[in-house]
Amino acid sequence: MDEEASLENYFDQSIAGSSDYIFEGDLGLQGPAPQLQDSSFLSSLTSQEKDLTEDLDLSFLPDELGTQDELSQAKNLSRNEDSGIYTDCPLRESTEGDTDTSNSAQNASQFNLPMTPMTPMTPMTPVAESSGIIPQLQNIVSTVNLACPLNLKSIALQARNAEYNPKRFAAVIMRIREPRTTALIFSSGKMVCTGAKSSEEQSRLAARKYARVVQKLGFPAKFLDFKIQNMVGSCDVCFPIRLEGLVLTHQQFSSYEPELFPGLIYRMVKPRIVLLIFVSGKVVLTGAKERSEIYEAFENIYPILKGFRKQ
Amino acid sequence: MPSSCPECGSSNVVEDDLYSQRQWVCVDCGSVVSEGHLTTTVSDETQGRAVPYHASTEVLKKPCRNLIAGFSRVRALCRILRLSSDMESAVVSLFERAYNHPNFIFVTLTKKEILGGCCVLSVCRQCNWPVAMGTIGYLLGVDNATLGTVYREFTKVLNIEISTIGIMDMLESFCYDFKLGPQQVEEVFAEPAQRLVDRTSALIELAADAWIVTGRQPLPLLFAAVYLAWQSLNPTVRMKYTFVKFCKIGQAPKQSWHRSRDSVVKRLKELRDVLCKLGRELPWLRGGAVEPNTVVPLVDDILKNRRALLMRAVRNHEQQLQNESQTAQTTECDDELSDSNRSDSHSSKTPELMDPDQAGCENPPDKEATDCQLPPNHWSKRHLFLPPCVKSRKRRRVDAPQLEVTGDEEISDGEIESYIRSQDEIETYLKVRKELKNKA
Repeated sequence: MDEEASLENYFDQSIAGSSDYIFEGDLGLQGPAPQLQDSSFLSSLTSQEKDLTEDLDLSFLPDELGTQDELSQAKNLSRNEDSGIYTDCPLRESTEGDTDTSNSAQNASQFNLPMTPMTPMTPMTPVAESSGIIPQLQNIVSTVNLACPLNLKSIALQARNAEYNPKRFAAVIMRIREPRTTALIFSSGKMVCTGAKSSEEQSRLAARKYARVVQKLGFPAKFLDFKIQNMVGSCDVCFPIRLEGLVLTHQQFSSYEPELFPGLIYRMVKPRIVLLIFVSGKVVLTGAKERSEIYEAFENIYPILKGFRKQ
Repeated sequence: MPSSCPECGSSNVVEDDLYSQRQWVCVDCGSVVSEGHLTTTVSDETQGRAVPYHASTEVLKKPCRNLIAGFSRVRALCRILRLSSDMESAVVSLFERAYNHPNFIFVTLTKKEILGGCCVLSVCRQCNWPVAMGTIGYLLGVDNATLGTVYREFTKVLNIEISTIGIMDMLESFCYDFKLGPQQVEEVFAEPAQRLVDRTSALIELAADAWIVTGRQPLPLLFAAVYLAWQSLNPTVRMKYTFVKFCKIGQAPKQSWHRSRDSVVKRLKELRDVLCKLGRELPWLRGGAVEPNTVVPLVDDILKNRRALLMRAVRNHEQQLQNESQTAQTTECDDELSDSNRSDSHSSKTPELMDPDQAGCENPPDKEATDCQLPPNHWSKRHLFLPPCVKSRKRRRVDAPQLEVTGDEEISDGEIESYIRSQDEIETYLKVRKELKNKA
């Protein structure tokens, strides 16, 4: 039947995508071709699974089912199906392949969720094929020291693009058109430049332009200690995400309060990045000092999110 | 005042203070002529000074009045929510800890009240007693956002681990809150609570599968689900009662649902849409039209067979897509050029691209043109059920063209000059400002 074939193709595809992440033992698995052993096992799996998928909500199972344990768990799942999807059971952290069948069968009847063996740190082996999605940088915040005391009133008077309201905030807010950015200039000579999109060089160029404006206004401004303080990126994984499942399996990193904020706040430890994950599949990454941290964080979270993709 | 000393007879009697006690002493012989009372009256106490409470030697300091009031308020909250005595004492001790914390000792009284609510919420979560923030919010009279900020600060400062509760946990106590027992309302409205819970939980599971639950506030959805469940358990009689009427019948406190009634209406619409999509798959209807306002009598059948219906609906949708992609291959160029042409080139349609927020009917020949906000090859078109936020994009995001810069380019003087005022401008500006100041 079409359905079975498409299901099988789906498994094969995702095996090719991020198999190494799940099969911790198979370090040698590189490239898109899955091991023969695994694919034959999987095709037997899909035929058995087909009946179960008729009744089951498999949203919590990872795409790649590595061992027999998962199959027996899935069977137990069908028995416990009606006791509700979102039970608040604590999930035991276990690594794939370490649990023996009897244990996992017991555990599966206790917990209504299968044990997703997702380690939240960086994957043990580099993924052969990356997600193919590149997060776009949306905002870059940088600071620079102009190294001379500034008279904010005179700056606000002489510059067209400046606003200064000492009662509200003790800095001049200056804006330039190209690149479209905003700067906060303090009387000590320190400056914060925000709003640059897409590259650190843009932020640096914008900061230099602000420094040049201040120079032309008669102050001996320099350009010292330019530093990127924060970078924000965003991307779309193109499938909806089960946030309730994600918060149960990654409890120590995630915070999901639908009554306060519709997205899940995931605080990744390495690299130290905060991700806002939304049900629509959009992900916002912030807190990076380097562009590579954003890319690394996304490559870390993508396999986890794929596990919560609803089939 | 004695003027002569009885001992030596001199008249040199002066007033003296010994240990702040007035005495009259004879200078010549030194005898004490007379002295004041050892016990003083208030009027005599000119030299006394009150000792402030914090410097007193009182061993057991009395708790401050606001703390005592806070305790009684917190206990009242616990009693309204019917918490056990263990939980109540846990809440009280947590409140005392929080109240005396330096971050919270000096805040406003309203914030201290909210702090009490946060303590209740935190203990309830720890003991797996499901209470929604919205419930605490309406008991305290604050909105979720305010409660949320205090709650976040509270958990961070006191290092409390928060656990998320699911919507299914809140369901049972929520349903029991509605007073629909046979003694309380008329026979036609009455519903045993267990039946209501079962039907509502089935509806919410269905809603979760159809992506209506994730990321949304749970309370409006719970209200919508309970209302639909109640209607569907006796559709012939109950169809004509609106949601507001239902809340009045069930005596739900007005503050709990009044603020979110718009959301409830939206969720009702979404739920009905999902039910219609599934209702269409019921084999004995033979593909007849299923309207949102008439779908309620079918809810019973739909819920009983929801898994099978879901599978069928998704399968049919995929079939549809395959057919469409085959016809699309023949008319490929037209499709990719403009969205408006799509409705003409495709003959068979299913309403898989329904925008739930649009007030529209669920009839099968619905045009895809309603979805012209999304680009033609958007991934969402492949799915039958999707979170509504994916399908309705409010504003088309226009990404500005990215320019390649090195960061060390030359900055033209002309550009910088354009940001600086000329002398005339400055003078005009100063003049105008002075005039405005004079006028004001």
